[in-house]
Amino acid sequence: METVYVTALGSHLPGDPVNNKEMEAYIGSRGPEARKLGAAVLRKNGVKTRHYAIEPDGSTETTNADIAAQALKKAFAKSETDLGRLSYLATATTQGDYLVPGHGSAVHGALGTRPMEVASFQSVCASSAMAFKSAYLQLKTGEHEVAAVTASEFSSRWFRPGFYETSIASYEAYTPSFETEFLRWTLSDGGGSAVLETRPNEHGASLRVDWVDLCSYADRFDPCMYAGSVSNAGAATKPWSHYGDPVAAAEVSALQLKQDFELLYKMFPVWAGHYLDLVEAGRIDPASIDYFLPHYSAKSLGEELKRLLARTGAMIPEERWFTNLASKGNTGSASILIMLEELFRTKDLKPGQKILCFVPESGRAIISFIQFTVV
Amino acid sequence: MNVISIPQTFVPPAPLPWALHSTLRRLASVWSDFESQVQNTAFIRRISEGKMRRDDYLSMLLHHRQQVIDGACWITRAASNVTIEFADLRTKFIKHAATEHLDYKMLEADYVAAGGALADIISAQPNIGTEVLSSFLFHRANQPDPFDLLGAMFIIEGLGRSFAGQWAEKIEESLSLQDDQLTFYRHHAEHDQDHMAEFEEVLADILNILPDLSDRIVQTAKVTARLYLLQIEEIERA
Repeated sequence: METVYVTALGSHLPGDPVNNKEMEAYIGSRGPEARKLGAAVLRKNGVKTRHYAIEPDGSTETTNADIAAQALKKAFAKSETDLGRLSYLATATTQGDYLVPGHGSAVHGALGTRPMEVASFQSVCASSAMAFKSAYLQLKTGEHEVAAVTASEFSSRWFRPGFYETSIASYEAYTPSFETEFLRWTLSDGGGSAVLETRPNEHGASLRVDWVDLCSYADRFDPCMYAGSVSNAGAATKPWSHYGDPVAAAEVSALQLKQDFELLYKMFPVWAGHYLDLVEAGRIDPASIDYFLPHYSAKSLGEELKRLLARTGAMIPEERWFTNLASKGNTGSASILIMLEELFRTKDLKPGQKILCFVPESGRAIISFIQFTVV
Repeated sequence: MNVISIPQTFVPPAPLPWALHSTLRRLASVWSDFESQVQNTAFIRRISEGKMRRDDYLSMLLHHRQQVIDGACWITRAASNVTIEFADLRTKFIKHAATEHLDYKMLEADYVAAGGALADIISAQPNIGTEVLSSFLFHRANQPDPFDLLGAMFIIEGLGRSFAGQWAEKIEESLSLQDDQLTFYRHHAEHDQDHMAEFEEVLADILNILPDLSDRIVQTAKVTARLYLLQIEEIERA
């Protein structure tokens, strides 16, 4: 088996940073009620600036695939190897530009590089870890020598008021609610990328991949962050494609992106249980972690969970947490690579230091971890 | 030729708080699995989706009663098997049982206030899940110094701490109950928080003296969780 290294990282955040006061101009106004919910959401998620790939009038010059390709080109620009040597590309996203074909093909097309093996991973935040694991194993087994991962999102286009309008007067799903507004005021656009090789850099640090762990708990949870159905339980889970036509599905809100909060809080103990299993099994040694990159804020961890982690000897001290969610925004699957890129670029990493990335996905309860050792 | 044998793998006794941390980690993992399974039983799903009917509430109380009665009994049985060196812990077991041993009256009063007949809940055959759960707990309680029952208490108290409040809220919403019809679950939602803190103290004390008990405590927690789930499933089947 080969040893696998991340040798370069890239990120692409379209346009200028957009602050909390300016953001409504980009996602559009849904009225005072939505604005009030938005203020509450911003207090909760702690995001101060983010980036959008749309203009205030809703127009755009780019695509999700372009964002991914830009992020990857930036990674290769910093790499000791060359884009021309890339032979395996794994892409991650929540929603690609098209329904068909796969996002992997779109990103490969946007890159315009030579023929290669591609794989498209579609989930929510953890799609990045899925894509990463596939690239890691492709290299580990000797199938390829240079692989790349992209994770990118263009969420803002889903948040424009038009996605919430209907001709059915007073349809309740269209009244601004926390369920829909949370995501509108939390998610933004961006892409991250990683170049993986079977050899480390000769002129700088690399991150050796120790392991990747991912687990789905969909056996016990209904969809929690979802789009494509009116609701996440009962008859209203009918897929949007089962309606008479796409317009009929849109009319009853089946195409909106929604988050079920009650369910989200039920996932926390399950995620904590999985993490504690990894600690108990010796895979994660909380004391040995130098940088903990959570796609999650310590603020929303909750006192009860902090207490659980503390009394089980599993808490990684908060001073070792590294995140840029507040300045770069929550870019879904891309966030973890955008964080890792900033850590790699700005911190003076020393050989032997351990980095643990943590990506929980509320979509339908997935938890994932990637551990690196600096070499 | 003389060969001096050197033990190849000498494992020193694990110092605290490792044993405590490890036990709590494994218990938390057993709990999170159990919690999901409970949430996914047909009966509990009906409660959380707000579809519960008054008959469901009555049957929940009826099926819970025997376990509540047995609870105080197996804890005092366990206390009677605690040797004198652990007299302090015995005191805690007895006090805990004393606090809860009349709780079944609260449950009966709720049953009657919600429209059930006292004779029905008193004469009902025990839920078969309860019957195996209690048999197992009495069996463990009959062992000398049966401190592994802390694993069982962790699961049962955890239900009070994590579920009683949720259930009480949902039941109240779906059935518009009055205060005197929902005292048992409310009481446990409020009081079982304190029990968890006390539980951790006792666990720390025991592991300090008997660090090797960790595996048996976790095992008893697992069996309790499995059998408790059976008890919930049986509400639906009865």
